[in-house]
Amino acid sequence: MDKYIRNIYKGVYTVLVGMRVTIRQFFQPNVTHQYPYEHDFEKKQNVREIPKGYRGQLYNRIEDCIGCKKCELICPVDCITITGDKLPKGEQLWDSMNVVHLKDGREVIGIIEGDDKKIMSEDSMTITNITTRLGPQEVIDRLEASEDESRAETFSTDEVSRVVTRNPVVFYLDQFDIDMSLCMYCGLCTEVCPTQCLVMKDSLEGIEYSSFDRTDLIFEFDKQEMYDKDETDNTEAAD
Amino acid sequence: METTQQTESKIIELKPFTDEMVVNMGPQHPSTHGVLRLELILDGEVVREAIPHIGYLHRCFEKHSENLSYPQIIPFTDRMDYVAAMNQNWGFCLAVEKLMAADEKKDFAVPERAEYLRVLICELNRIASHLLSFGTYGMDTGAVTPFFYAFRDRERLLLLFEKICGARLTYNYIRIGGVSEIIHMEPGSLDEQNFLDEVKDFLDYFEPKIDEYNDLLTSNSIFSERTMGVAVMSAEMALSYGATGPNLRGSGVDWDLRRDEPYSIYDRFDFEVPVAKDIPELGAVVGDCWSRYKVRMDEMKESVRIVRQILAEGLPDGPVMADLKAVRPPKGEIYFRSEAPRGELGFYIVSDGTPKPVRLKGRSPCFSALSALQELSRGLMVADIIAIIGSIDIVMGEVDR
Amino acid sequence: MPEIFSEGFFPNINLQDETNWATDFVRDVIIPRLPEAVAGHFPVELGTVLVMVAFAGIFVAVVPLLPLVLVLAERKVAARFQNRTGPMRVGPWGTLQTLADGIKLIFKEDYIPPQGDKLLFLLAPYIIFACSFAVFAAIPFGDGIPIPGDFNIGIFYIMAISSVIVMGVIMAGWSSNSKWSLLGSLRSAAQIVSYEIPLGLSILTVVMLVESLGMQQIVASQDGGIFTWLIFRTPFTFIAFFIFFISSIAEVNRTPFDLPEAESEIVAGFHTEYSGMRFALFFIAEYANMFAVSAIGVTLFLGGWQGVLPGYDFLGGFPGFVIKTLGLVFLMMWLRWTLPRLRVDQLMNLCWKYFIPISFFNILGTGVWGLIFRHDDVWSIGISCAIIYVGLISAYAVAGRSLARKPEPQPS
Repeated sequence: MDKYIRNIYKGVYTVLVGMRVTIRQFFQPNVTHQYPYEHDFEKKQNVREIPKGYRGQLYNRIEDCIGCKKCELICPVDCITITGDKLPKGEQLWDSMNVVHLKDGREVIGIIEGDDKKIMSEDSMTITNITTRLGPQEVIDRLEASEDESRAETFSTDEVSRVVTRNPVVFYLDQFDIDMSLCMYCGLCTEVCPTQCLVMKDSLEGIEYSSFDRTDLIFEFDKQEMYDKDETDNTEAAD
Repeated sequence: METTQQTESKIIELKPFTDEMVVNMGPQHPSTHGVLRLELILDGEVVREAIPHIGYLHRCFEKHSENLSYPQIIPFTDRMDYVAAMNQNWGFCLAVEKLMAADEKKDFAVPERAEYLRVLICELNRIASHLLSFGTYGMDTGAVTPFFYAFRDRERLLLLFEKICGARLTYNYIRIGGVSEIIHMEPGSLDEQNFLDEVKDFLDYFEPKIDEYNDLLTSNSIFSERTMGVAVMSAEMALSYGATGPNLRGSGVDWDLRRDEPYSIYDRFDFEVPVAKDIPELGAVVGDCWSRYKVRMDEMKESVRIVRQILAEGLPDGPVMADLKAVRPPKGEIYFRSEAPRGELGFYIVSDGTPKPVRLKGRSPCFSALSALQELSRGLMVADIIAIIGSIDIVMGEVDR
Repeated sequence: MPEIFSEGFFPNINLQDETNWATDFVRDVIIPRLPEAVAGHFPVELGTVLVMVAFAGIFVAVVPLLPLVLVLAERKVAARFQNRTGPMRVGPWGTLQTLADGIKLIFKEDYIPPQGDKLLFLLAPYIIFACSFAVFAAIPFGDGIPIPGDFNIGIFYIMAISSVIVMGVIMAGWSSNSKWSLLGSLRSAAQIVSYEIPLGLSILTVVMLVESLGMQQIVASQDGGIFTWLIFRTPFTFIAFFIFFISSIAEVNRTPFDLPEAESEIVAGFHTEYSGMRFALFFIAEYANMFAVSAIGVTLFLGGWQGVLPGYDFLGGFPGFVIKTLGLVFLMMWLRWTLPRLRVDQLMNLCWKYFIPISFFNILGTGVWGLIFRHDDVWSIGISCAIIYVGLISAYAVAGRSLARKPEPQPS
């Protein structure tokens, strides 16, 4: 009899305790948000933002790509396809040079004086042989032609966001395709990229790119464009 | 006298004849935790036999690994136990590191900072994993609300993981020789401070929540009726089936690799290993579903304790990655086990000195625990099957690999 | 056989009864408006039946809107309990979501399992639907609102009609030719049949006090403000109310007693194989049932449409009735989103070992109470409220003490 009453008692009591927990949550604010409508990730205070370094869609800044095929090798699922011809011996698309990305978004192409590996630890850097982003032949021409001192500039390291070193290019890229339907977002390819040109977009368009057709998910990064056009600043994924 | 005899004989003739019913539970079923298929032989509501059929999620992880270099295998270990992917990464990396340490020529050690980050992130991952287990167990027993509470809190953890490694579920964070540097966190920088503050905020928020969950589900009399005394797995049985982790501790065996075979820097932290005990006044028996579940709830508290100790010490300075040119373990073989949230995760690797393993075998805790299901479920009811599956906390990705 | 008919096969639909509202309606409203020549020969009985059918038609048209609201309310309430927003897309704040779902279900394929029993499969949802709506006929919604089925055995009729639902459930489960459905329907049968006993017994306590089975009479006996509501009339009806409430949750198959459709165990129970509009009928019937049992609970124990204070209309009349009913519905939702589900044998345990003995004890107690206090007066109600109050306080005190002794179960 004691156990009988105790059971009734326990049942009622624990149910009431549980109800107290839920009714407290009844008056708490929402933790969810209406995703596609609150699109900007900013409208509500409890809405999160996409953190820096999020592993989204793969994007190749093709003008910096040297075609080293390291990403193709490391990819565990073989979602990157690179084909390219080796240039005849002795020829190269451009000489060793540096691309300096400034924090205000500008890019300066030239040759850094001194050791470019350790340049970020110094206060300032001087870049000589500054050139514009033109077709490769013209770049080569300019680089060969000029010993002009006026095309040198000095930046303080604070302005510079990153420095990319381009080695002499002996590859001629035909094709740089990334099949995002195969990608497993491990990020190994972005780590091995020597020029840091292969990145994963940590913005909204790096997340929302779903498609009804699987072939739409094969992104072709076309270097051909760069060889042909004069102004190739806006090389985008041909999607 | 005659009439009574006649009626008696009639009763014997009318002895109820019941047909056994074979029911397929799964592979598409709300509460088989993935694509587990159970062949239930039912006598009414009573289960005569529950035969698990696995393999619906088999992706040839082990064979596939033979064609991959060691760093490439790490993202595949994420896909084993996708609920606690950090711990899977870690288990694999620990095995490879130990194999490489056998090579006397190469002198390499995982940096201190990386070790701390590993423990921090893996204990948080353990909380996330147990939260999911708690939520789905509530769902299995019919209470939907705990599921949403668990996911609400797990979401905060996933945001933390996202901040430190850029992914929410398949992290590929822990690497051979350290941790990933995709998102660089300078020692002593504001980024690091912000991250640690956020971890602390989460712990402060989460610790009272555990008690709330205990109020909501653990101590609920309907829940304890459903789980206490059901499917008792004795210590001998647990050991013979190779059940590990919370399932083993739920059976009363005091065994935790973090304490008994300390790897990494677990020997520096002060934590207790929750082990189930008989609670006669409640009706809990060692080895029943409730004990297994309760061990998980208590383990979350211990994980919080470990993370708090790391926060109090602060992360040490230094690099997060050992100076490794290439991952090329020497010829030899290794078996290394570590304590993942679901139990003992072992990796057996045979190397011939090339960058790719010759043979790789993962010893998954869920597989061993699932094998006990057939014996546990004999003679119980359909609803109990669900309670058992939830309490042994399987992830089919790890069972099938 | 003839005797049965002469005594009245339907004893309550007595067409010669002067107090029948439909006859009054025909006599006072329709006949004066008819031309002289027709009025003299107008068959009053036929008119009565026609008026009743018309009124029932209005009910059948209006009442399905109720689940429409309740489904949305349930989803919103569940969302609040889980820190979500619930449906937000269709209409302002998702208010048209149920309508959209209904339209979608109408256009879906009406699949009939080829191996099943087609006739029963088609019939089952209608039986459940019809029974759950027939209950509404006898509920007194408010002062002056006519009841289509104003019987002198109203509560008996409700009990009878609502037990037919289990037949529909079994038919649905059997005819689907699915093992999950069969399990669900048999669970449901066992559950509903068992829980009807404590339900009926706790209703009996009320009937003993009021000495009538008619719903109007039950409401009329609670006209003296909140303390004359039957829940406070005796300590035993106070207990009976909770037994009634919990048993009625079991009757309408909601968590923690939703075994017939336990989605984590037997997929969807007896309506696993149903799709399209037939599934919608089950769904509507479920929510209509939920409202109906709450309304019955309010009528029997919480004063029906009688207000809190004798002279005032606070919580009285039709709005008061609906508010009280929705309060009980909210309580059901609150329980549903808090509690886990019972197992089959535990369900039976709870019914046979706890509810039924307590119900019998209640009946005994109510009888004794009725012998002691022949008429309800200030004394009897005062003593009753005092006993309830002291009981609750002492239970709370014991809770505090036992809590202090055993704080939190800690196995490790």
